[in-house]
Amino acid sequence: MSNKVTIRRLPTGVPGLDNLLGGGLPEFSFNLIAGTPGCGKTTLAHQIMFSLANPDYRALFFTVLGEPALKMLRYQQQFPFFDINKVNESIRFVNLSADLLKGDFDRVLSRISDEVKAYAPSLVFVDSFRSVVQSVKRDEQSASDLQRFVQQLGMQMTSWQATTFLIGEYLAPESESSPIFTVADGILWLSQNLHRNSMVRKMQVVKMRGQAQAPGLHTFRISDEGIQIFPRAIVQPADALGAPIKYSTGEERVSMGIPGLDGMLGGGLPAGYSVLVVGPSGSGKTILATEFLAEGVRRGEPGVIAAFEKSPSQLLNNKLNALVKAGHVGVIDTRSLDLSIDETLHDLIETINRMQAKRVVIDSLSGFELSLAPEFSEDFRGSLYRMVAELTALGITILMTSELEDRYTDLRFSPFGSAFLADAIIVQRYVEIAGQFKRAFSVVKVRGSEHSKDIRLFDITNEGIVIGETMSEYAGILSGRPTLSPG
Amino acid sequence: MESRDLLRHQIIESLITHRTEKVADAAMNVWEKLATEIISVVGEEGFNSLYARSLFLTQSSFPWLAARSVSPQSDHRFAELKIHLAEQTPVQARVANILLLITFTDILTALIGEALTTSILRSAWGSEELMAGHPNDTSNKAGKEFDNE
Repeated sequence: MSNKVTIRRLPTGVPGLDNLLGGGLPEFSFNLIAGTPGCGKTTLAHQIMFSLANPDYRALFFTVLGEPALKMLRYQQQFPFFDINKVNESIRFVNLSADLLKGDFDRVLSRISDEVKAYAPSLVFVDSFRSVVQSVKRDEQSASDLQRFVQQLGMQMTSWQATTFLIGEYLAPESESSPIFTVADGILWLSQNLHRNSMVRKMQVVKMRGQAQAPGLHTFRISDEGIQIFPRAIVQPADALGAPIKYSTGEERVSMGIPGLDGMLGGGLPAGYSVLVVGPSGSGKTILATEFLAEGVRRGEPGVIAAFEKSPSQLLNNKLNALVKAGHVGVIDTRSLDLSIDETLHDLIETINRMQAKRVVIDSLSGFELSLAPEFSEDFRGSLYRMVAELTALGITILMTSELEDRYTDLRFSPFGSAFLADAIIVQRYVEIAGQFKRAFSVVKVRGSEHSKDIRLFDITNEGIVIGETMSEYAGILSGRPTLSPG
Repeated sequence: MESRDLLRHQIIESLITHRTEKVADAAMNVWEKLATEIISVVGEEGFNSLYARSLFLTQSSFPWLAARSVSPQSDHRFAELKIHLAEQTPVQARVANILLLITFTDILTALIGEALTTSILRSAWGSEELMAGHPNDTSNKAGKEFDNE
């Protein structure tokens, strides 16, 4: 067992990428970074290179025809990871365009091989590969030359005891039958997807030999700092790896902070549950959420709120504002309109860990859906399901609010049909009684627990939510037009 | 930024001024080393476009630098420059070459920044020469003088 080769995994230095790769980049692997123009291939390569390279672990970066090397150096310098002190000492750029223009693959190969021998790098990059393909796609002869070239390069790269990367322009994994895909140990696919007017960058680890990469498409962002990846939340299989997933037993209860509500929930909300608070605009959802957070703070449990309804500057209400200012409640930055759920989840988990939070509020799902890039809105329920599963697995108790169109003919829990993913549901309504709009609510569901079936009036006062009497003498309350029941 | 620019300019000036070979030969030596380094980083085309642009800009001060051939052959890329320089007085040729080099490195700096440019110049010309600003190899110098006779 100890005779088996141990493959070192290199930390890539790109936030989120190591998780995607299944624990880092296997040393001496031969990788392909592919994608359409402008999707961030060169930036990704540079970020990995500058992070890993040092005088004892040098990198050689070959530029071929693609991006003019002058431009590449000019623009890549703008990123903070581009450390000029590493150039020449730890990183060398070599341009191969002259060798390639003559169309002589053997010359390119021997040039690459000579440079590698002379510099003895631990990392080798060839950017970009499609240009090698295109510069010769003139006849059959050169096409087979190319295949040979690519295979030889792949073979050579493996024998160099270097971790190598080919960077290439391709349109889609399926549309290519390049031999390089077979030879490569790892394939990273980058793409930018347009949907309506928004653009979302995605990365896929198509292949990573010998380790379990995170499957599927993951969003990433290129900011002034470089690339950051937000691995997609994936619902973990139940203790497949003995993962410390906490399932709520329903025994430990969390107080909601509203007198009387805990009793209606059967003794408080079970810890690790998700509760959905549904109601029309102004019915008091955010106030209920605030009380939930404030109660946590009173008990020494910090909270986090992702507020999509208002801008952070005009935060929700004074009480919440005070909690945030005192540092008891963290707020998630909700840059709007092109978010991905995974990015939000990433921010949430980061804040939860930092604050040791036990309670999370998402206010509201409707606002959340709006702030997402249109592409993600389509899969909102699915992504939300993964997100809630991920958070509750951390032992977090979640309160989500959802706006409900005020209908007086039928009863709905939520516009997304997202009610199924909540463990508990509280519905708020307006009702007309004696010429007044009154607020009423009910605990509709608490999974695996006794709970009150009452429909009760409530008021919002300066002290918070005050629960009133049971409307036992009325019928048809949830339709909004209650009638006094006979008797 | 201004002072660093000046430093690079001074280095070029003293690199050229302190050469004892014939001006045109010294120029060739400096340019060939520079070309080799820059071509290895940004490629032949990258170098040629930078060089053509510097020639063009320097022409306003020294019209006799005007290139006759459009695309220089890689083998004798600087042949024309050498002929032009040799036709001038040593002082004139030296001043023109300094301006040409300064213009060239200015363009490079504008594109890829001072730090990276300096790093390239250092590997082209050797850090000692860049620092001291004069040729450090006297035996080689004697040999070249001999060759020139």
